[in-house]
Amino acid sequence: MHAASESPSTIALIGNPNTGKTTLFNALTGANAKIGNYSGVTVDIKSGETYTPHGKKLRVLDLPGCYSLRAPSPDEQVAVDALTGDLPGYAKPDLVVCVLDASNLERHLQLALQVIALQIPTILALNMVDMAEKSGLRLDPAKLAAELGVPVVPMQASAGKGIIELKQALRFPFPSAAHAMWVPGTDDAEDTRRTFIRNLCELAARRPDAHQLTFADQLDDWLLHPVWGWVAFFAIMFAVFWGIFSFARIPMGWIESAQGVVAGGVESLMPAGDLRSLLVDGVLGGVGGVVVFLPQIVLLFFFIGLLESSGYMARAAYLMDGVMSRAGLSGKAFLPLFSSYACAIPGVMASRTIGSAKERLATIFIAPWMSCSARLPVYFLIVPLLLHENEGSWKQALVLFAIYTLGTLSAFVVARVLRRKLGPDHTAHHFMLELPPYRWPQWRYIFRHVLERGGSFVAKAGTIILGISILLWALSTYPKADGDGADALAASAMGRIGAVIEPVVRPLGFDGRVGTAILTSFAAREVFNSSLAVLFRVDEAAGEEATRNSLRDRLALAKWPDGTPLFTPLSIISLLVFYIYALQCLPTSVVVAKEAGSWKWALGQLAFMSGFAYAASLGVFQIGKLLGF
Amino acid sequence: MEHASAAEFGNESAMTLNQVGVGRDVRIRVLQGPGCDRLRDLGFCEQVQVRKLAGGRNPICSVCGTRLAISRELAEQVLVAPVL
Repeated sequence: MHAASESPSTIALIGNPNTGKTTLFNALTGANAKIGNYSGVTVDIKSGETYTPHGKKLRVLDLPGCYSLRAPSPDEQVAVDALTGDLPGYAKPDLVVCVLDASNLERHLQLALQVIALQIPTILALNMVDMAEKSGLRLDPAKLAAELGVPVVPMQASAGKGIIELKQALRFPFPSAAHAMWVPGTDDAEDTRRTFIRNLCELAARRPDAHQLTFADQLDDWLLHPVWGWVAFFAIMFAVFWGIFSFARIPMGWIESAQGVVAGGVESLMPAGDLRSLLVDGVLGGVGGVVVFLPQIVLLFFFIGLLESSGYMARAAYLMDGVMSRAGLSGKAFLPLFSSYACAIPGVMASRTIGSAKERLATIFIAPWMSCSARLPVYFLIVPLLLHENEGSWKQALVLFAIYTLGTLSAFVVARVLRRKLGPDHTAHHFMLELPPYRWPQWRYIFRHVLERGGSFVAKAGTIILGISILLWALSTYPKADGDGADALAASAMGRIGAVIEPVVRPLGFDGRVGTAILTSFAAREVFNSSLAVLFRVDEAAGEEATRNSLRDRLALAKWPDGTPLFTPLSIISLLVFYIYALQCLPTSVVVAKEAGSWKWALGQLAFMSGFAYAASLGVFQIGKLLGF
Repeated sequence: MEHASAAEFGNESAMTLNQVGVGRDVRIRVLQGPGCDRLRDLGFCEQVQVRKLAGGRNPICSVCGTRLAISRELAEQVLVAPVL
């Protein structure tokens, strides 16, 4: 079976969840696809290229993990369709590499045998042999290969061991399809297959007889304990927030001072005028107001990567199942929702691992309320205004923790209501979750992933946010009027928009400038910072020397026309509440429409979340005022 | 190898996985119920030895060296006998 040179042969990687398919895919193709130590990281097909030892190009497909080819959840169905060639846009694979966890052959061979029975040439990649042998398993790959009639390659993909041997096996001609000798043609193929596997494992993967209490078992006694498990969960989460706040301070200082140096340089080199104002206030102020929070975002992704890679994520999902069930969801929804703290888009896509269609819709609907990393610049800008100068970072971490908790709890309430409205499932879906062994984090992948996410954040700041900042600067500068400071701003296009918006946002405790900033941030919420930077560039209360202070200092000095401070604790909380609930992310709406299968869901979600944000913010400010704050 | 059928095993005398004490090793006798196929895919097959590691809302078992959490409803469908 030799493919024509213009269309390369296709090989597909398949296996149970969390067997290291993506690690292998990355090793084969040199790609940097996201991996984690829990099932369901890959929910879509990834495609890459590799070469045979003779230099022939091969297309490699990384399929979502599945337990069998019966496929009850959408991500598994994708894998099955890809194998049978039913997936539009993908050729039927010429060769399947079935990735097995060597420690769990009894279970993983179930899928391997189903694949072999499809009569597609198959190679078995026996991954994580190091872990298996450490646990006392005696493996015999040669015996396995002889019994099954397919090549078996032992490997340890995370350390790069066995990759060369696997590539040697990927040479033309591909091995022919094996004859499935465990299918005797009777109705009871399932039973025969299981008996075959049991006998095979007796021969080729002998387990030590006594069950050994592993390190993971001992750790799980604590981490999954009904009381201590929760203590550990909250301690870990709090440590993450505290870490983000305190570690980010140092690099943030560097970025801020670098910005100050550049702005000072531009000011000393250029005469005062519109171009200088564009560069300093528009470009540096607008983009800088967002970029300064790069360290926090990098740290957030680093900590999430650490939790995923170590295997703790699955434990958190196990603990959360009880809480999630009160919201009409299951522990399966935890992982998509947790990913949404980084970004709602992968979170919404990860919901494909949820078998129940209705639970999946509810999860997609509430995912944007898990405060995503794009909200961090907004939070970090305004949370310190709430606290006095130089208060301990643990207090800021506490406020941040409260923000995340508020968003999450409200999301659960909405999920519960929604789940009730959608009605029960037609078929029962039961909770089942694999708790992977704890592993030492794969630093290389974590750092590459963090670097990639940081890079895309900077790229966004350099393109979309730069463009919007320049636009905002123009809107707030022209048409020009006599006078300076507040008068000039009031006469500009932005000032006029602000005057129109002010009556709408006044009941929430914001003035026209904050209202305009909110309005401009509906396509991407980080733009709020850029808008504020542009709008508050001239402070009416302070002199010329104070205008170069950090944006936050200028906000703290901002006043209403009657001289009262603009940002009181109450209006700051009202603003925070608005940003917790508002869905201000165009790409998320596009992905929701695609994943939920209709624009009605995406638009309904946008309308609901915007309305809710307004109402909640209104409630906070008005009730707070009545209470005398 | 013949599997014991649910009838000959006798439902009354069988224990479900929910009834097993934590830390006990048991051998799976029969699976019965709508979740059978899914359980087998996960490795809960007849004759397989499992150890119950935790009870509660979602019992955790060690099956062929993997820790798996399954719902009580699923655990109810797994009939087991103690390992002698």
